[in-house]
Amino acid sequence: MNDNSADGGILLECRSVTKSYSGTTVLDKVDFSIRRGEVHALVGENGAGKSTLVKLITGVTNRDSGDIVFDGKTVPLEHSRKLSQELGIAVIYQELSLIPGMTVAQNIFLTKEPLLGKTRLIDSKKMNRMAQELIEKYEFPLKATDFIDRISIAQRQLVEILKALSGHASLMIMDEPSSSLTKTEVEMLFRIIHSLRAEGISVLYISHRMEEVYALSDRVTVLRDGKLVSVLDKERISPAEIIRLMIGHKLEEAAIHHQLPRIESGVVLEVEGLTSVGKFQDISFLLHEGEVLGIGGLVGSGRTELVRALYGIDPIDAGKITYFGKPFAPSVRASIAAGIGFIPEERRLQGILATQSVTRNIGIPNLDLLAPRGVVRVKAEQEYSLRGIKLLNVKPPNPDQLVGNLSGGNQQKVVLAKWLVRDLKLIFIDEPTVGIDIGAKEEIYDHVRKLAGMGVSVILVSSDLPELTRLSDRVIVLRKGKVFHEFKECMLTSEMILRAASGITEGSDEN
Amino acid sequence: MSRQAVRRIILLALMLLICLMISRVNPIFFSVGNIMKLFQEAAQTGIVAVGFTLVLIAGGMDMSIGAVIAVTSMVCVNFLTYTKLPVAVFVPISLLVGALTGLFNGYFITRFKLPEFIVTLASKSILSGIALVIAVKDSMGFVKNVYIQNETYIWFGGQAFGLVYRATIAFVVLGVATQIFMKKTRAGTNIYATGANAQAASLSGINTTRTVIGIYMFSSICASIAAIFISSRMMTAMPELGIGSEMDVIAAVVIGGTSFSGGQGDLWGTMLGAVFMALVKNVILKMGISPWVQPIVIGGIIVITVIFDVSQKKLAEKLATKAKLRKLALEGGQAAA
Amino acid sequence: MKIKPLTQDVRLLLVLLPLMAVLSTLSPRFLTLDNLTNVVWSVCLIGILASGAIYPRITGGIDLSLGSMAALSGIVVDMFMNRFGFHWILAIALTLLIGALIGLFNGFIVAKIKVPAFVVTMAAKTYLYGVGLVVSQGAMLAILKPKPFIAIGTGRFLGLPIPIYIMFALALSSQFILKRSAFGRKVMAVGANEVAAKLSGVDPDSIRLAAYTISGVTSAIGGVVLASLTQQVFAAAASGVELDVMTALVIGGTSPIGGRGSVAGGLIGAIMVAFIVNGLNLMNVPASFHPIVTGSVIIVALLLNEGYLSPKKGGLSSARR
Repeated sequence: MNDNSADGGILLECRSVTKSYSGTTVLDKVDFSIRRGEVHALVGENGAGKSTLVKLITGVTNRDSGDIVFDGKTVPLEHSRKLSQELGIAVIYQELSLIPGMTVAQNIFLTKEPLLGKTRLIDSKKMNRMAQELIEKYEFPLKATDFIDRISIAQRQLVEILKALSGHASLMIMDEPSSSLTKTEVEMLFRIIHSLRAEGISVLYISHRMEEVYALSDRVTVLRDGKLVSVLDKERISPAEIIRLMIGHKLEEAAIHHQLPRIESGVVLEVEGLTSVGKFQDISFLLHEGEVLGIGGLVGSGRTELVRALYGIDPIDAGKITYFGKPFAPSVRASIAAGIGFIPEERRLQGILATQSVTRNIGIPNLDLLAPRGVVRVKAEQEYSLRGIKLLNVKPPNPDQLVGNLSGGNQQKVVLAKWLVRDLKLIFIDEPTVGIDIGAKEEIYDHVRKLAGMGVSVILVSSDLPELTRLSDRVIVLRKGKVFHEFKECMLTSEMILRAASGITEGSDEN
Repeated sequence: MSRQAVRRIILLALMLLICLMISRVNPIFFSVGNIMKLFQEAAQTGIVAVGFTLVLIAGGMDMSIGAVIAVTSMVCVNFLTYTKLPVAVFVPISLLVGALTGLFNGYFITRFKLPEFIVTLASKSILSGIALVIAVKDSMGFVKNVYIQNETYIWFGGQAFGLVYRATIAFVVLGVATQIFMKKTRAGTNIYATGANAQAASLSGINTTRTVIGIYMFSSICASIAAIFISSRMMTAMPELGIGSEMDVIAAVVIGGTSFSGGQGDLWGTMLGAVFMALVKNVILKMGISPWVQPIVIGGIIVITVIFDVSQKKLAEKLATKAKLRKLALEGGQAAA
Repeated sequence: MKIKPLTQDVRLLLVLLPLMAVLSTLSPRFLTLDNLTNVVWSVCLIGILASGAIYPRITGGIDLSLGSMAALSGIVVDMFMNRFGFHWILAIALTLLIGALIGLFNGFIVAKIKVPAFVVTMAAKTYLYGVGLVVSQGAMLAILKPKPFIAIGTGRFLGLPIPIYIMFALALSSQFILKRSAFGRKVMAVGANEVAAKLSGVDPDSIRLAAYTISGVTSAIGGVVLASLTQQVFAAAASGVELDVMTALVIGGTSPIGGRGSVAGGLIGAIMVAFIVNGLNLMNVPASFHPIVTGSVIIVALLLNEGYLSPKKGGLSSARR
């Protein structure tokens, strides 16, 4: 296989591509290339610029400057999805782009169905046969006549791959393809990637899972803060090395380590053997008063699912929760009544009421206090709102402003504010600073620390490693739905968390 | 697929049962004349239902079809009353009513992303007004009941070979042709894809805007075609003709297995549904049941069918998740071991 | 300073006043007290229905059954009083209860079984019309007694027709509930973002159930008032009124995307629709043009609401259901 890449044919070459969104440079003069028939991994922390680079390559957005050459053809600045498809670039979406209610064959050949002779009628028999041939060629566990809604997510990904193959794609981009697959399904995916490579098809593999990157890739490109850090050849690829490059060893980054303190306050929450089938299993931990407990782990490791279940959104299959010494059966209402708050991921979809004012947003979870008899005390509501705005420095400080018109950072402040104005004992915070500018980020960090200082316990889920490192008093790392490691009373760095999340136990595989 | 087959069998069995029941009470039911009339009625609803089926498959909604019938027949009546133009000229012109209405609906729905049923409800209102405005009036300004005497025009409403109504033939031809179009051409496949998952469809290179506008035009044109058959059969037309008939159409389509969630359904089902509705109405008439019960039956059928479909789907989903959980639990156990 | 939340309603008033001015110059009869009372009278039914129909609308649904429901309520209240001989207060109470139950049934199918609201209520519109036909034997029945019942629609208090008071009472309480009650806050929240509302402790299903139940009750009230006002009941008495109600609400700024709306706006919308129709009448435009005007108005109002026609760019309608 090295022979394949050794003959040196470059399929895709990006030279000095740059992209900025409203003044912020997200990709800064990045050089990037993919050889024919290689599996190339693209890694980096969240916000490193991976998805932007993919968007530039696939024509979802246009680059500001730089050249992209694909298969010897220069890609114009005015790129488009359509053009990228014509060039032979395919993206394997998780489940987005298939049509339920249609068969595997229909999906593979959508808009390019074979026609009967000179008529305009579709030759279904031929189509099914062609699909089946394609399936058999790659030995996929599929049938051409299976309906999409009846097959698993892993099989759907295979259909996506076939769809790309039937369109004669020479580059396949897979973005976290394994995040919703089971172990056996991942193994199957790997076999398929190998056979694609043998065919001479290039695969751009984007993943947070170091072991996958290690097992699969011919080369790895590491991005950090929108810049190219390094391109590793096969021999130099090791999970520990990649992690080191991803985190970097710049001065300011090195400063983000944190001595985890000794916690001696009382226990607020005790979780024992908590299980939700298919999401997480046998999770146990303690949470103390005024403590920030960080939960680390890769996307799909069960972090979000865990806090959702603890807050009472999703059901629990087994396990025991004790809250202030009493058994607690979570439901959203019971949780709110018991002084528990929840800040969800995906602020726009789950957090804010975009078409409502700041006051209304802050009022909603506090109606029990604001309207004990069903009628809202408007003065009190206004007062809550102003208090929240002042407390979190929401800009503009206008209680009547529609939240949808605020900046991302200020939206998140409003989501935080609605819990801060009440008597809070415990709060779950899931990815609080995604897509938020640096200034607002710092303010939110201050508030999380301040909350803990006031005796509120915090459970923080985050993929932002410096954030998790800086804010947490203790960190639990989940891996495949289980507690993999707990960091306490020690010196903690981002690298340590990422290593644990990637399944590397301390002391082994040291570089 | 198999779920759909079960549905069809239940529906056919139900129809058979109704036929047997009614033939006991009313022996005239099985006369050739009555059967032909029944299929003619099925065709009147059915022709509109063919277009409406495509709207639902594409994930839309069209409340304006009844009013399109009214305006189209008023246009024809005007031509018949005030001009000497041959039928072959003005009937195609009158079909423009449908084409334009569909264009209007489709444009506002796709361009401005307005809710389908409010847009089409608004165009229903506008069209019903237009029908009144253009209705042929007497010297006092009252709407006149025009008797259509043009032989060529009446031909549409008559029977071929003295037996099958031409409307029925048109219905079958339209239904079968549309079925082939939907299942056997790229354009038809694109419609299913658009209705099932518009985002995925456009990612696959389908022009969903053009597809949706085309669908609304087809739906309204079908209504216009039905208007010709209905008015020529009745040999007259009022400005209220067809208004409110959208409920019959919806019932026929829904009973045929086309769902409101889009991407599902076919014309065989709709044709069956149209016959079923005609049968039900015929029974109500022939059994001497008050015709006032008709709307209760139609509304009831829609509600029951929709609830049935949704619950069936939910059950299937539940079973699927359960199976998946079991599989995951199994693999989890293996991994732990 | 506190005007901000009122802008939508104020803006509507700013349209209404010139409209009145134009109409009064076009027809000298327009600004007479009689004519204005007439207009308000015709607004009553729409206003009463709109004060309940706004709830399903804000949650992102719709109630298309209100016309049939209102007509059926008239028939039923007449049946209770004049066929069964119930006291008129009892008869009205029972009618409202039936309205509530039918609304609850609609709400149940929408909220629990998750069938699209327009399908459920459109079917309800059809079968309720049928029930009305069956109960009334397809006839147009005159209601001549009892006196106090007739007084509800035809009586006057302080010189103004009683239905106006009923409409204002309902609209004001509805406005109060929406603006000031915890329930109203929750209705708005469910319409704006169901998931976010749920995470803040709101139960969207029970809010929807309540919304359709309220709409059922106000439809029944509307039907009772209409029956008493016109002194006749039949199954098609209020057919098509749902479109007028929706037009009024859309003009009033109730967003089809959900999460926004005010009854005051809805009322002004209702008055506007009535003025336009009345103006057309006074200018001797035939009645057949009215639905054309209503239909066009609803589309223009929708476009205005979504911000397409306003000079400021961008509506809030990013998330369609």
